[in-house]
Amino acid sequence: MKKTLKSVLALALVLVFAASVLAAEGGNPRKGKYLYKKNCKICHGSGGEGGELTPMSKTMAQWDRFFEKMDHDPAAMESLSEQDLKDINQFLFDFAADSDQPATCG
Amino acid sequence: MTRFLNLFLAGLLLLPAAGLAADSEEAMMQQLQKQIQDLSEELDELNDRLNKTERHSALDRIEFTGDLRQKVDSLKLDDVTVNQGFMVDFQQLGQDVNNAVMAVYANPMEFPGPPASGFNPPPATDPNAGITQADVDNYWDAYSLLTEGFPAMAAQFPEFAQAFAMGQLPAKGFFGTGVQKSDHENEVLYTSRLRLNMAAKIYENMKFSGRLTMYKNWGDSTGVKVFDSFDSFTMDGTNSGNTTGDLLHVERAYFDWSDIGGSNFYLSIGRRPSTYGYPTNLRENELRGGTPSGHVVNFNFDGITAGYHLEDATGIPGFTARFCYGQGFEAEYGNGSLFAEPDVKDTHLGGFNIDLYNDGYTVLQTTIFRAWDIADSFKGLAVMPFADHDGDGIPDDMNNNAYISRFQGQADIGDMYLGSLTFIREEMSGFTWFGSLGWTRTKPSAAFNPMGLGGLLYDASPVMRLTAINVNDDGTVSPEFEHTGDYVKSDDWDKDRDGWSVYVGFQTPAPLGKFGLEYNYGSEFWSPFTQAQDDVMGSKLATRGHVGEAYYIFEINPRAFIKVGALYYDYEYTGSGSPVGRPKKVEDVQDGKEFSLLPVLDKVWDLNASVTMKF
Repeated sequence: MKKTLKSVLALALVLVFAASVLAAEGGNPRKGKYLYKKNCKICHGSGGEGGELTPMSKTMAQWDRFFEKMDHDPAAMESLSEQDLKDINQFLFDFAADSDQPATCG
Repeated sequence: MTRFLNLFLAGLLLLPAAGLAADSEEAMMQQLQKQIQDLSEELDELNDRLNKTERHSALDRIEFTGDLRQKVDSLKLDDVTVNQGFMVDFQQLGQDVNNAVMAVYANPMEFPGPPASGFNPPPATDPNAGITQADVDNYWDAYSLLTEGFPAMAAQFPEFAQAFAMGQLPAKGFFGTGVQKSDHENEVLYTSRLRLNMAAKIYENMKFSGRLTMYKNWGDSTGVKVFDSFDSFTMDGTNSGNTTGDLLHVERAYFDWSDIGGSNFYLSIGRRPSTYGYPTNLRENELRGGTPSGHVVNFNFDGITAGYHLEDATGIPGFTARFCYGQGFEAEYGNGSLFAEPDVKDTHLGGFNIDLYNDGYTVLQTTIFRAWDIADSFKGLAVMPFADHDGDGIPDDMNNNAYISRFQGQADIGDMYLGSLTFIREEMSGFTWFGSLGWTRTKPSAAFNPMGLGGLLYDASPVMRLTAINVNDDGTVSPEFEHTGDYVKSDDWDKDRDGWSVYVGFQTPAPLGKFGLEYNYGSEFWSPFTQAQDDVMGSKLATRGHVGEAYYIFEINPRAFIKVGALYYDYEYTGSGSPVGRPKKVEDVQDGKEFSLLPVLDKVWDLNASVTMKF
């Protein structure tokens, strides 16, 4: 039985090291939300001239594609650093239409 | 759209023809025409494919997501104590022994011990003298009791015999066969949990949500356990958090009807999202999993929520007030009520669950519920360790054949309040911390469980009469008892009992993932509805005592993670997770001062590792 436990722990360690290889670097969604509110909602809020956009407007892959192509008026983006964009991307990705949602009623 | 594109393409065909004269221009024209024709064909093909996708989307009305968790727990239980006892009518026992001595001993003063003057001769049946066979049997029963049973019992339980002989026993008191303490180890306990989430848009402001859950331990699909704790009871409220075999149970199935009449009012009815609420979602590595605070409610309820979003009116992010109502026990339907009208009422639960502030990163939530007419048992299945052979509702013997029993409430044991105030904050750095206070108050009624489990946080012990002492081959005794019909309740049984709990912790970003620490404490009378929390030792938040937990989550990718953790339980009082019966100090049971029908846990280590994939 003890052998079984050791095997399980060994497997867990292997998986942990495997995890270190597969883990991805991401932006900070908390900062991203703040930056999104400050910079993006001006034009993309309700009734905004750029048309309303929320994280739920696109899927996770669609948000990633958007930030990859950056098909957007560069003037609106110039105040944002590369890390800022990464943070906003992470926020929009985390709360996209196909992301995990809080499971509550209402 | 398609018609417009066709007209546009036809226009493109006509436009250049008039203006081109040269051969090269004609060749170009032909090439252009071909390209347009190819484009038109491709458009038709795309149109066909889009129609199929559109049709599929329209017919595929339900979205499925889910997760699969494979987990191994290694358990170490120290000082598990069994100290069962019967409440015995010692006064009656004294009379019974006295009568036996008078019947058997020629000189009663010579008892105990071999009589110098000899025994009374056994009676013979004599109808004329009114001596029946029963009188003869009674003589021999008394003879056997005094000459075999009692000496053997005195040899096995000398302190009891001495106290009895000296008249030091109370009129009614416990008799137990002795404290048995043992350490247990379960080095590997594997479990699989599969959850399939369903979502469907019914209409613009209506949606359906559901979850099917299978939670099993490897190698067992019976769905029924031997009853050794509240966690081993297979029942409606805990099916999702209790290993119940390879069946998919409906953990949730409800609809939301939002923005009713254009207002911020919503209505939701069905099997509720009432598990894994704040802040218990952090250790699950998932977003908020349910509506009520997970500190006091983690239980599958059928019910109704009427909510109102107050964010627009107040400007406070996420401010939502909800009235919740549910039914935990149906007293008549399915209970054989056509044979006899049951003397119990339905159990209802109602109250408020309010998000005072919730911007997704800072949350303040309060929950206040009241449960009316709590039954002494939910409806459920278990293999009881004891069997009732004579039908008086009192266990007489071991359930050696492992018969499965269906239980249902038989008494309204009282009402209960539950409350909590929960705060969570995620800092900009990703460091998340929380603190939560929980409170329960029980208001017991005079009614109690007739099998001896007790009333609402008090004991009601059936009083037994010793009827025989069987001497086994090895010289040990097996006393036989019968129920007198009386019960003895705990002192101050009718008092309201307040229980409280504190739950604090944090989760911080760490190399390759997250690291978390949690601590919770529950007091003597702490009785929350968190029994569906799926810890294999039972809900950690229901513990009457201390629980510490540390875990590390390795994020493999956004859809998969490995969790390695350790839980340490230090139980102070018995009966965690059950509102029935008087909680007793664990050390008092270990010292033999108190008795417990079920095994009593003291200190438990639960080391665990799991891998979870979301899909």
